[in-house]
Amino acid sequence: MSARRGHHPEGNTVKFKNVAVVGAFALTATIALAGCANSSGDTGSTTKPSASATADAYKIDPSLTGTITAGGSSAQANAEAAWVAAFTSQAKGVTINYDKSQGSGGGVTNWLAGSYDFAGSDSPLNPTQVTSSASTCGADGAINLPVYLDGVAVIYNLPGVKDLKLSSEVIAKIFSLKITTWNDAAIVALNPKAKLPATAITTVTRSDGSGTTTNFTNYLSQSQPSIWTYAPSNAWPVAGSSAQQGGSGVVNTVKAGEGTIGYADHSAIGDLSSAQIQAGTSKDYVAFSAEGASTAFAKAAVATPTTVEGDLSQKLDYTKLTDKSSYPIPLISYQILCKTFKSADQAKLTKAFVGYVASDIGQKIAAKNAGAAPIPAAMLAKIAKSLADVK
Amino acid sequence: MTAISSGAARKSASKGPGPIVNSLTTGQLPKFVEFYVLAGALIVVGGVMLFLGFNLGGWLFLSALVYLIALGVLSAIAENRRRAVDRIVRSLVTIAFLLAIAPLISTLWTVASNGIGQLNWAFISQTGGAVFNPETLKVDITTGALQAIVGTLEITGIAALMSIPIGLLTSIYLVEYARPNQPIARTVTFLVDVMTGIPSIVAGLFAFSLFTLLVGPKAFSGFSASVALSVLMIPIVVRSCEEMLRLVPSDLREASFALGVSRFSTIVKVVLPTAIVGIITGITLAIARVIGETAPIFIAASFTDNFNANPFSGPMQTLPVLAYTGIKFPGQDIAASNASAWGAALLLVILVVILNIIARVIARVFAPKGAR
Amino acid sequence: MTSHPAVRSRTSSVKAPGSTTASGPRSPQGGAGSSRVKSRPADRIFFGLSFGSALLIMVILAAVAIFLIVQAAPAIAANWASNPDLNSGPTGSFATFWNYVAPLIWGTLWVSAIALVLGAPVAIGIALFISHYAPRRITGILGYLIDLLAAVPSIVFGLWGIIVIRPLLLPLTDWLNHNLGFIPIFSGQASTTGSTILAGGVVLAVMILPIISSISREIFLQTPRLHEEAALALGATKWEMIRMAVLPYAKSGVVSAVLLGLGRALGETMAIALIISPSIGFYWNILTEGKNSQTIAANLALNFPISNVLQREALIGTGLMLFVISLAVNFLARWIISRSNADKSGRKKRRPKAIVEAASAVNGPALSASDSPVRATGSATTKPEGTPA
Repeated sequence: MSARRGHHPEGNTVKFKNVAVVGAFALTATIALAGCANSSGDTGSTTKPSASATADAYKIDPSLTGTITAGGSSAQANAEAAWVAAFTSQAKGVTINYDKSQGSGGGVTNWLAGSYDFAGSDSPLNPTQVTSSASTCGADGAINLPVYLDGVAVIYNLPGVKDLKLSSEVIAKIFSLKITTWNDAAIVALNPKAKLPATAITTVTRSDGSGTTTNFTNYLSQSQPSIWTYAPSNAWPVAGSSAQQGGSGVVNTVKAGEGTIGYADHSAIGDLSSAQIQAGTSKDYVAFSAEGASTAFAKAAVATPTTVEGDLSQKLDYTKLTDKSSYPIPLISYQILCKTFKSADQAKLTKAFVGYVASDIGQKIAAKNAGAAPIPAAMLAKIAKSLADVK
Repeated sequence: MTAISSGAARKSASKGPGPIVNSLTTGQLPKFVEFYVLAGALIVVGGVMLFLGFNLGGWLFLSALVYLIALGVLSAIAENRRRAVDRIVRSLVTIAFLLAIAPLISTLWTVASNGIGQLNWAFISQTGGAVFNPETLKVDITTGALQAIVGTLEITGIAALMSIPIGLLTSIYLVEYARPNQPIARTVTFLVDVMTGIPSIVAGLFAFSLFTLLVGPKAFSGFSASVALSVLMIPIVVRSCEEMLRLVPSDLREASFALGVSRFSTIVKVVLPTAIVGIITGITLAIARVIGETAPIFIAASFTDNFNANPFSGPMQTLPVLAYTGIKFPGQDIAASNASAWGAALLLVILVVILNIIARVIARVFAPKGAR
Repeated sequence: MTSHPAVRSRTSSVKAPGSTTASGPRSPQGGAGSSRVKSRPADRIFFGLSFGSALLIMVILAAVAIFLIVQAAPAIAANWASNPDLNSGPTGSFATFWNYVAPLIWGTLWVSAIALVLGAPVAIGIALFISHYAPRRITGILGYLIDLLAAVPSIVFGLWGIIVIRPLLLPLTDWLNHNLGFIPIFSGQASTTGSTILAGGVVLAVMILPIISSISREIFLQTPRLHEEAALALGATKWEMIRMAVLPYAKSGVVSAVLLGLGRALGETMAIALIISPSIGFYWNILTEGKNSQTIAANLALNFPISNVLQREALIGTGLMLFVISLAVNFLARWIISRSNADKSGRKKRRPKAIVEAASAVNGPALSASDSPVRATGSATTKPEGTPA
């Protein structure tokens, strides 16, 4: 089936643009390769990034053909779109379909059933799923690779108030409906100069299950176990909030209503104000930044014990995020694939794509186009090693 | 509607000699009384509300209430109770109609005003794509709906091709051939009743599982989505065609049989043309219902941004899916994604309007001349 | 198949049900015409096609039902409290499947009831307006305008609900909550974002309007002119004419139309999911944020992506319950129709008693079409219909 599907009647405009892009890339690559010997490995240059970086710049084989079918988490959806565009512009015989409507749970379920080559998921496989993966992947099992990093933003709509500062205690109390008005003493104490109105707080949450909710409730229950007594879960546990469908639903509702507060992926909030979160118990309040999220990952991500070699599932230890260099509520998203594919060609193709995603350049593309934070280089190296074993 | 009340005769009789009384119009309210009362109600309520706090919806609602009461009382006094009831019902029915026009205009206006900016030839004729610039690492998204338009036409077209003949023939069987106590007729009626409420996700799941059984794990295809849509369409088609066929008077059938026409010809040449307008309405309703579905498409045909004209293999995108993902999963540029979503929604509405017009033309061509 | 003319007599009409000889017992019965009507190949083919379609539908729909039952069974039977797949996430706080689905059933019925109460009378009023009150020349356009509402996809209705209806109903929500808050459905903490069942119900009512209205309109238009004119000639006002001639004739058809609209309301996913802020529980309130009973279809759509396999099966189980609801509602409606019909044959065409009495008084007890022995849809036994019962 994959042999038959190499050609799609793309729009002529897109085809021309693709040709132009490939031509430009080829030209650039030639010039850059000539200058490769002269340049020292720079990591920050944006003029000739792809080929003038060090020798571990990722090379895509332009003769690759086939189709990758995948799906899952919508948090990585924008990054996926950028990765797919970049990859297929260089390997024009490849078609990649990533279904962002399935959510993390749906992605894993479909992948376990064999419909996807890899799944995008906001959490690694849980023990039940690991057991099931034995029948999908065989004895070698599956690996979870953290490829996407972002943060959970606490968004609010308070006319006249910018730079709202919140601590984990206040956030926990607001979202568990223990603090109900904006001019509550606890909030005023953190924001002495802000004009906080006496209106009621409307918490806006997710009505559909979501990985963002999992990350946010993880943070709340680890940081404030006495206030947030609910177990972390992908379904919002507190009744009485205004539950909206989708992250965009939360963002739109917060935008439309005054006195609202909600949570969403930072890359999806557009121009809404995001609160600055207190770093642990220190005096610093941290706004979201890509560096902050990357540093948070480097400090707080702890490898979970796993039986599959090369599996890189992580747990976040929020107690390690105590200074202003790290954003307190990071969000990690994984790509999950089998170590052994049924078809060697499919393995090669999927490896090439996931490797591109988890390369330095892939992470830069995600940062530039999807508001993501780059995964630290040390983890990228580990991912490359794990991918080498995929066959 | 000239109901001459008995009061008219009495009045003219008791008047004796005097100005000539037009007995046709005595005992009736003047001709445009409804407008006068309406204007009066609007003004009075508006005046009162200016003191209490003005609210457009409240003003309209209270005016309507005052109008109905005033008209009823006036008519009961000047004419008689039956005419009062008649007038009130006429007003109620007109209000109902106006109540429907408001959301219609509002929805169409919302779609049109948000989507019209996106509607240009490039949007319609181009596949949505992304251009990667290796220099700056920027990916520029170009919006385009061609893949969605082709997907919608193919998936809905195949679904309609499958459901309409089957549904119509089944309703013909139920109405023309079967007796209500026959087990097949009863079972079909029972199943159709049950299936009218099926949630669309469930239909998508069924189609996906069916094709997974037949084809294997990666069974996403446009045809699978068509099957899901057919499962949704068939009960509507069967139910509405059944109603329309039952409405055809037996006289026509009997006349036809009496002339020696076979059953098949009677159905095709007499019954169907008589009912054709209603049948077309029912079919159009069914198509309009499924053309806007998203959930079964996601489940059965997965999601893709790529152009795929082959309905039998590979994921396909449709216009409602494009609209839904533009709103629910916007790209980095939220406004642009939303704009493209509205453009897709507007395209979808235009498509259905065109289908509607075609359907009506077909109905007029096949309907018997001089009917209605 | 033998098509011996002698077989085709009136008595052959009481052949056992289920016999499938084409055109045999169901062709014109009795009378002089039978021997002239042959069963042509076209007849047989056509009958075969119709019957085959009915069979095919039966198979397809039964397959869907069986598929769902098979899928849902493990989740219904599992022990929710102890199963790790089921005691977390959206299904976490429920002890058994029935605890999960009962409030959902309530929510579905409640939201659909609100939509019907708001939408059905308006739809029937519209249909009456277009068929009887509007000027003849523009009925086509008006009908087309209403059908245009059906052209709008559900997503657009959901978005329109969020953008237009939610803010629009906020003042009404506040007013009702303040002034009529003692009534249970208006009680509770009024919503500030408008994500209420009231908003969802209004949008759902608008969505089912065109279905009910179009079919009702077609039915009203089919009322025999003779009946209408007879009523008018006897001095009835327009409303009385409608009440006497149109509504009885159209009653069962209108009920079917309302049922189709209800079917749409029961299964509506997108608009409800986008507009209403849901919770799972038995609530009456329609004005709050946190006490809106969730519907089965919207719950399915919202939680399906995040569910694991067993939770998916539980959701499919709730979808099955939707079938049961549809079935119950349809049974109820058919029962209502059959109760209001005098004879049990299930025929939809009614003759109001008054008109028939008047007609037979004028013409004598002569033939009316309903007395004809030929039944297109009814039972084989001839029943004189319309005689004063």
